[in-house]
Amino acid sequence: MFKGEGGAFPMELKKGIPLRTALYNEHLKLNARMTNFHGWEMPLEYTKIVEEHMAVRRNVGIFDVSHMGDVIIEGNDANKFVDYIFPTKISDLNIGECTYTAFLDTDGKMIDDTIIYKLWDDKYFLIPNAANIERIINWLNKNSTGYSIKIINHSDEISHIAVQGPKTPEVLGEMKIEMPENFHFLLNNIQFLNPLLNENFMMVSGTGYTGERGVELIIPNEIAPSLWEKLLDIIKNYDGRPCGLGARDTLRMEKGMLLSGQDFNEDKTPYEASVSFIVNLNHEFIGREKLIENKNNFKIIFRGFILENKNIPRPGFKIYHNDDEIGYITSGSVSPILNTGIGLGYINKDFMKSNEPVYIKIRDKYVKAQISKPKLF
Amino acid sequence: MSRIPEELKYTKTHEWFSVDAGVATIGISDYAQQQLTDIVYIDMPKPGDDKKIGDVLLTIESVKSAEDVYSPVNGKVIEINMELEKSPELVNEDPYKNWIVKIKLDDEKYNFLTAEEYKKYIGE
Repeated sequence: MFKGEGGAFPMELKKGIPLRTALYNEHLKLNARMTNFHGWEMPLEYTKIVEEHMAVRRNVGIFDVSHMGDVIIEGNDANKFVDYIFPTKISDLNIGECTYTAFLDTDGKMIDDTIIYKLWDDKYFLIPNAANIERIINWLNKNSTGYSIKIINHSDEISHIAVQGPKTPEVLGEMKIEMPENFHFLLNNIQFLNPLLNENFMMVSGTGYTGERGVELIIPNEIAPSLWEKLLDIIKNYDGRPCGLGARDTLRMEKGMLLSGQDFNEDKTPYEASVSFIVNLNHEFIGREKLIENKNNFKIIFRGFILENKNIPRPGFKIYHNDDEIGYITSGSVSPILNTGIGLGYINKDFMKSNEPVYIKIRDKYVKAQISKPKLF
Repeated sequence: MSRIPEELKYTKTHEWFSVDAGVATIGISDYAQQQLTDIVYIDMPKPGDDKKIGDVLLTIESVKSAEDVYSPVNGKVIEINMELEKSPELVNEDPYKNWIVKIKLDDEKYNFLTAEEYKKYIGE
């Protein structure tokens, strides 16, 4: 065993010193099985991936996602700059709101995706993926010529704890924290300075990566362990669990959410990746010209696939209709909810709404699958 | 720490087997099931398949990855554990009670690690 197809989680830690979050010792205390995720030593699972997955769908789960980046853009030209960087008209956000968007290169291809928050009139906060922090900082700096802005990387000072699942409002209620609406954030008093805000506040963000009601608590590292322990204590009463990156991956897959670097890697436009809602062509931004071309003639599109059995389609596996190769898989797992194999990937756009079955080649077999929207249920 | 019963034979690719009356009963080790995480599907061989030492015998799908299980012996597959078709997670629960396939031996030319050697090999 163990020479086969890997998923998002390689078996062994890479050589070298792994990066660790402020919650590393908490994971060890819980006997988590750790894994290497883009150089970060992160919990893969505390008990079993499927149990953690179901806890989030039914009750509540907490996740350490502190490996994610934390970047501030501020200054007189911040509004102009974010509108230029993103295909979304970011300056239309109100203070207290956030949105999902992506960094595009000059070809309109997605470099990375992010949530971006409007903190103040001329101050934005964004969260690049762990593997891309440096790349994004460089990208922002490279494109900032002529703009009066500052780009500040706070990734080493900030922790993120995601609380996800239908019981999230009750859990927050026990800590006297108000539940924000989706894609809004609220501020709560804490004992330490949050360098993102230069105030003693935690950000309570109505966002997540599970498709459930939930929040992400964005906090200074100093309070991460005590907040984590408090949450652990509270969620016990709601049949909640700490959840690792394994469950995070299966949860996002069931809901058809893209994983940067795996479902796209500077090779897909937002139209191809089925996130056209982030594109507003009525303003100037990097990649706009290519997107105008791409809008009417893109050939492949991101879809979901529901398999007829528990075979797992892995990244790179080919999709067939009759004898024709029509696409390929980028993410796959077994869905604990649908109780069958699921995949995400790209197919020829002509098949986007097809009800005819397709076949995914898994080793030497062709496994029947139904095409679906990326959000599988 | 994983469980390594004394009486079984092991391989460097984390299979276990026992031989009785010319038939090898084969499964995967506790260490292997822990590394795999939740097992969701086992791609079984067909009874009657001939397998040589080192051939891919079957493939185990877990939430995390798909891993091949190699034949530790030469022979013919005579039985698969049908219970695992419905409930492959039984291998996570008890990888020694829940054997996966039985092979009728062509010969006795297999190599193996003892429990003690295997324990050293996986560094426990």
